[in-house]
Amino acid sequence: MTDVARFASYDTVVIGAGLAGLTAALRLAEEGQRVAVLAKGVGATHLSPGTVDVLGYVDGPVDSPAKALPDFAAANPDHPYRRLPVELIGASLDWFKARLGDHGYRGGLDENFLVPTAVGVAKPTALVPETMAAGDLRGGGRFVFIGLRGLKDFYPAYLAENLARASLPGEADILTRVVELEPPLGNARDVSGLGFARRFEEAGFRESVLVELDRYLVPGEIVGFPAVLGVGRAREVWNELETRLGHQVFEVPTLPPSVQGLRLYETMTTALRRHGCRLVVGNTVVGTKTSGSRLEGVLAKTAGRPLTYRARSFVLATGGFASGGLQLDSSGQIRETVFDLPVAGVPGSKQRPFEEGYFADHAISRAGVTVDESMRPVDGKGGTPYENVHAVGATLGGAVPWREASGNGLSLASGYAAASAILRET
Amino acid sequence: MPTLETEVLVVGGGSTGAGVARDAALRGFSTVLVERGDLAAGTTGRFHGLLHSGGRYAVKDPVAARECVVENPILRRTAADCIEDTGGLFVSTQWDDPGFGDDFLRGCQATGVPVEEVPVAQALRQEPRLDRGIARAFAVPDANLDPWKLVWGCARSAKEHGAQILTYHRLLGLELDDGKVVGARVHDELNGDELEIRSQVVVNAAGAWSGQIASLAGCEVTVLPGKGIMIAMNHRLVNTVVNRCKPPSDGDIIVPIRTVSVIGTTDTRVADPDELEVTPAEIEEMFDEGEKLVPGFRNARALRVWAGARPLFAGEQVSDTRDVSRTHTVLDHAKRDGVDGFITITGGKTTTFRLMAEHAVDAVCAKLGVDRQCTTQEEPLPGSEEKRFYWLGSRVRTQEPVPGEHEIICECELVTRERLLAGVAHRHPSSLDDVRRTVRLGMGPCQGGFCIYRATGILHSFEHLDRRAANTALLDFLEERWKGVHPVLHGAQLRQARLDEWIFQGLLTVQHLPE
Repeated sequence: MTDVARFASYDTVVIGAGLAGLTAALRLAEEGQRVAVLAKGVGATHLSPGTVDVLGYVDGPVDSPAKALPDFAAANPDHPYRRLPVELIGASLDWFKARLGDHGYRGGLDENFLVPTAVGVAKPTALVPETMAAGDLRGGGRFVFIGLRGLKDFYPAYLAENLARASLPGEADILTRVVELEPPLGNARDVSGLGFARRFEEAGFRESVLVELDRYLVPGEIVGFPAVLGVGRAREVWNELETRLGHQVFEVPTLPPSVQGLRLYETMTTALRRHGCRLVVGNTVVGTKTSGSRLEGVLAKTAGRPLTYRARSFVLATGGFASGGLQLDSSGQIRETVFDLPVAGVPGSKQRPFEEGYFADHAISRAGVTVDESMRPVDGKGGTPYENVHAVGATLGGAVPWREASGNGLSLASGYAAASAILRET
Repeated sequence: MPTLETEVLVVGGGSTGAGVARDAALRGFSTVLVERGDLAAGTTGRFHGLLHSGGRYAVKDPVAARECVVENPILRRTAADCIEDTGGLFVSTQWDDPGFGDDFLRGCQATGVPVEEVPVAQALRQEPRLDRGIARAFAVPDANLDPWKLVWGCARSAKEHGAQILTYHRLLGLELDDGKVVGARVHDELNGDELEIRSQVVVNAAGAWSGQIASLAGCEVTVLPGKGIMIAMNHRLVNTVVNRCKPPSDGDIIVPIRTVSVIGTTDTRVADPDELEVTPAEIEEMFDEGEKLVPGFRNARALRVWAGARPLFAGEQVSDTRDVSRTHTVLDHAKRDGVDGFITITGGKTTTFRLMAEHAVDAVCAKLGVDRQCTTQEEPLPGSEEKRFYWLGSRVRTQEPVPGEHEIICECELVTRERLLAGVAHRHPSSLDDVRRTVRLGMGPCQGGFCIYRATGILHSFEHLDRRAANTALLDFLEERWKGVHPVLHGAQLRQARLDEWIFQGLLTVQHLPE
């Protein structure tokens, strides 16, 4: 054997297959770039609802991200939104809606929807797939939530009781109630949300749900299901339910694995493949080849031999602590796990990384990679360790996306911005 | 004020109190037990889960060792369902004096601890993750003991014999009449009512809190709360209890129990058993010591840290709580302080809880002038009649014949909907943390990330909790869990915790639940 390197060459290599990585990859592939996506596993799409939250909470709920973003960015100089102009965020949403045509995304930056969470909180979000749009609570209405016996991840009575007390803008008034159905599961009892979603694609299963539910509905009620209405054929399932019931129908996202996220992932990866992008899930980047301040290639550990992926540009989209893109060791050190990029916002030795209260603002939450306007990582002195690496998504520091309700918005906008920067450079 | 009449009033719902209540009820005394919180929520529920062979005391505390030698087989007979027969090893690591092994052998032989030196190769085959550098290994009949099951078993048995177990009843004061304790006033912590209990004898079994209780009768009992910290690590890093073969010190034992391994412990004198702070230095020490027994220990997932307060009774002042014997003491306050109708049982440890109860109830008999024999050395606890040990696979075994038959609410600990509902119906827990201890819900690697939303929804509909109570239960669980999780949070467990944050704060948005 020789140590002649096996290698493959691309215009851009994206590491990570969450929303941020997929966005950057698809956008570049659409523009004719040869793109490879390397991922250890599927990304956080499978953990998140299908909504795009851009900015949901600043102190209280946000009505209009477009209006709130400039002040928010000004008040939070380390936040990634500081590097992402409102126009760019808006463009990324438009791009996303067009690419996800089958999902019928609605909304934008001007006004947040308010949609129910599975515990009955009215949560602000910028974009919703069409299967969630009727759940918009801003205008009030009469809502009936559907329980599916055998689904352990959805408790409509708890949801409905809380939601009836949700504070809504203006005079909006909501009434909630619950209908529990006993869908035909045969002998199976521990059926996951995905299992239900697959069953909803079977005509017979749908029929029995429709027949049972039809008896209980009162005219004018808006019908909320757990987000399990089909996987690949969700639009068809949702359409049929609305048409046959003669009621508006919507989905409420619940515990992972997220059926809505799965749909999103399927649509985006299908589009990627159609544009000739190479998507490799199940390998890990274990090394780099550099030349000066340029990254020449990354070494991926695969089932067979290691393979070097060379490219002109790289996008780091490995996520934060939840996805393994960042790691905290037992001595308090935080590492970016692929390129060992500088991490900002690391609590000092005298500072506690975590507060005593669970819901407190923990110092460590904002740790992450800092970038410039081109999404290139910068160190503490403003230098760029790699001129052709761009970092996107939850790897970025300065944000607490689960508190701000900004997760998918940050991923989408930063992925979009990185692609724009790469296209400008080449 | 409503009044209860009883012969024996037991204060404290840990293993000692529950053991006393059961023993008294079995001997035919009318009995009431009061506990300020849930059963086994104090020291009993906060230890590493070791059923002592006596080996740990063989050299330094022969009295305690001999007690363990007697009690260990009794509990194996009468509380088999609470015990997993893991066996125990004492190993001399590279950091330990192999000569101590000889002292250890002599100590075991002198106190009757069954012990056998085993070849190192055999010990390593049995526990392949142990450090390859160990020099000697000794096998002893250590095991693990589920403290919650044990205490509930005692409480159930006591109730079957007519006792009343009043949890969430805080003792407000003891009633004295002419130098005799004749009863107590207690506060129902859940509904706010006060209750008067008239009794002939009060048994103070409040463990680390027994000094506080004794003072209510004007008696001075010096109990030194000795703080010990423990960390639960994901998975069974060992399947045998593994002890360092050296004089007792910090972090010298790993106990495999249920789906986790617990490393312990420390021994620090503290002023207040309700204030048990865990310091980063103590945690680091556990990781360092764990590494000496099981290389790579530090890289395993640390799930949770907690501290318990040992009740160490001292006649005189001592500087190091480790020097206080682990044996127990029965104080008849009539002889000691001139206060009749009042007995304190203190010191001791969970392995000898039954013996402690026997001695305490013997003192009750003497006080009431009756002669009734103790039967707890023979009478099995409910659920242990078949004398079959618990084993790790038992939950899987009940699931396996019909996979998919049951909805599994907590995947980590294999808690089915049926098991959850049965546990809830049996105990009417008032919080999800009580549910956690009842069925081990949320004790596994994800620490409730998935099951707590489900359990909240189920309790809301099944127990008819209103939404406020359900919301409080959910939020309190998250806060309570966090206390044990954040001090050890790093590595892959932080990854898990971050996923949980996404679920609770991102997806469900529980922080914005309506008032």
